[in-house]
Amino acid sequence: MSPYGLLFDQTLAVSQRLLLEQWRQRRGLIFWAVFPAAMMLLFGLVYAHNANMRAGLDAAAAGILMGAALFFSCLGGTVSIIAAERERRTLRRLLASPLHPAAFFLGVLLAQLVLAAVQVVMLYSIAWFIGARYHGSLLLGALILLLSVFSYVGMGFFLGARFARRSEEVVVALSAIGVPLLVLGGTFFPLEIMPSAMQTVAQLNPMLHMNQAFKGVAAYDFGWIELRFELAFLFVFCAISLALGLKSYRYLRVADQKI
Amino acid sequence: MTAALRIDGLFKRFGEQQVLNGFSLQIAPGQVVGLLGPNGCGKSTVLNIICQLLQADAGQVHLMGQPMTEQSAHARARIGYCAQESALYPDLYPQENIQFFARLYGVPAAQRSARVADLMERFSLAPYAATRAGLLSGGWQQRLSLAVALVHRPELLVLDEPTVALDVEARMDLWRLIEGLRDSGTTILLTSHHLAEAQRLCNRVALMRNGKVLAEGSVPALISRVPGQAVAKVQSEDKQAVIQRALEMGWPVRQHAGKMSLLLPRHMSLREIVNALDGSKVSAVSIDPVTLEDAYLELVGDS
Repeated sequence: MSPYGLLFDQTLAVSQRLLLEQWRQRRGLIFWAVFPAAMMLLFGLVYAHNANMRAGLDAAAAGILMGAALFFSCLGGTVSIIAAERERRTLRRLLASPLHPAAFFLGVLLAQLVLAAVQVVMLYSIAWFIGARYHGSLLLGALILLLSVFSYVGMGFFLGARFARRSEEVVVALSAIGVPLLVLGGTFFPLEIMPSAMQTVAQLNPMLHMNQAFKGVAAYDFGWIELRFELAFLFVFCAISLALGLKSYRYLRVADQKI
Repeated sequence: MTAALRIDGLFKRFGEQQVLNGFSLQIAPGQVVGLLGPNGCGKSTVLNIICQLLQADAGQVHLMGQPMTEQSAHARARIGYCAQESALYPDLYPQENIQFFARLYGVPAAQRSARVADLMERFSLAPYAATRAGLLSGGWQQRLSLAVALVHRPELLVLDEPTVALDVEARMDLWRLIEGLRDSGTTILLTSHHLAEAQRLCNRVALMRNGKVLAEGSVPALISRVPGQAVAKVQSEDKQAVIQRALEMGWPVRQHAGKMSLLLPRHMSLREIVNALDGSKVSAVSIDPVTLEDAYLELVGDS
């Protein structure tokens, strides 16, 4: 088998295994779906109750997908995958195998992309049912989602390699760090209603730019020109996250020796 | 003949602790070599360096005459590794675990199904094909781990205390499997705390202490280094009297963990020993042939 053929097959093996495991852990799969679905329903009920706020429903759907759904599944899920590999001692087994670092990373990324696609369909089905609509370019929306998933997985790999020792720690850390990031990222409230100091801090939050970009295209039909700043930020952040994620496999080897 | 594995002067330090101190070893193709030694003597560190889970500070490892360059996927593909604890994916079925690792090791797609079926058969895993790996008992999980380690037909199989957490029955089962591999010519390096395991499975044994090999050879060769043909284990209220009588007769005396052994120059009857120790308040005597355990205690000492 050629080196590229092996890399491709290893990537597929990793992603298929992750998806199979995910499918067999049905309870986890249900909880993973319930959170964004419940958020969408609750927000939908709030917006439907206030006729003058209905315009915000389209933006809320985009924010919940980007923040509540993809953040937890792609970033949190990636950190959990690494923590689970450590806990089960399979990480050592992988490190002792000829698995290419890029194949492991790309395998996780591919699995997360499949899960993200399922979430998009699920969340927008609920959103459509309660009256929210997608207005912009599908291509631009897909690009923003792709860049966001890549960024989340890259960051998840980086954080998981360095900090994720146990699954319980992942849950606590995600709640402690993730929820404030969601709030500051404009997932639940628009940026404009935040105090000015919070707005300044929020500009440093990558999630804000992901949210702004996807809300822009999904709810307000913004194009490439209107979203150029968010897109530029996303491209750069995505490149940094992917580089950090790819480099983290080497760190996994070092960190595993300390456990 | 080129050694299957040649390790020259490995050194490894963790902080202030020098774990390997010039460890060297050679394994001929088809041999089963056991690494024995007290906890912390560096056995697992050696295996981790061979499997590239650790990097040595100095020294070299050659597999089939070729140097194992640092972090080479090609080198890792030539080794089968089975750790102390079964590293399996609990939600996958046994054949799926084997299949997954077959793909990581680049087993050609056309051969995969046959390899998996063969290993399921050879390791008697077929009846558990519908049981997820996480629901298998410890013994069956370790059996599956061994099957996984062999899926790419490695040139060297590395087993790190493979039976450490198993009950007696599961341990015996796994021993039979490893014996089968030995008899089919698989080169194996294993570590163990069970001296009986090493005696039964290994062609050669290396006894380690403080990060280096103190003695190595075949089990009979190591046993022959014990200055006695049999061992009398003696209990007495007056140990000093026993020691004095034994020394008068020229029998070396060994004391380990509060137990006293006399190394006999020839196989003797119980009556001969009791008569020889007359007057030293002996309450119990047993006579055993010299085993690897005696050789270990003689050559490595009591940890």
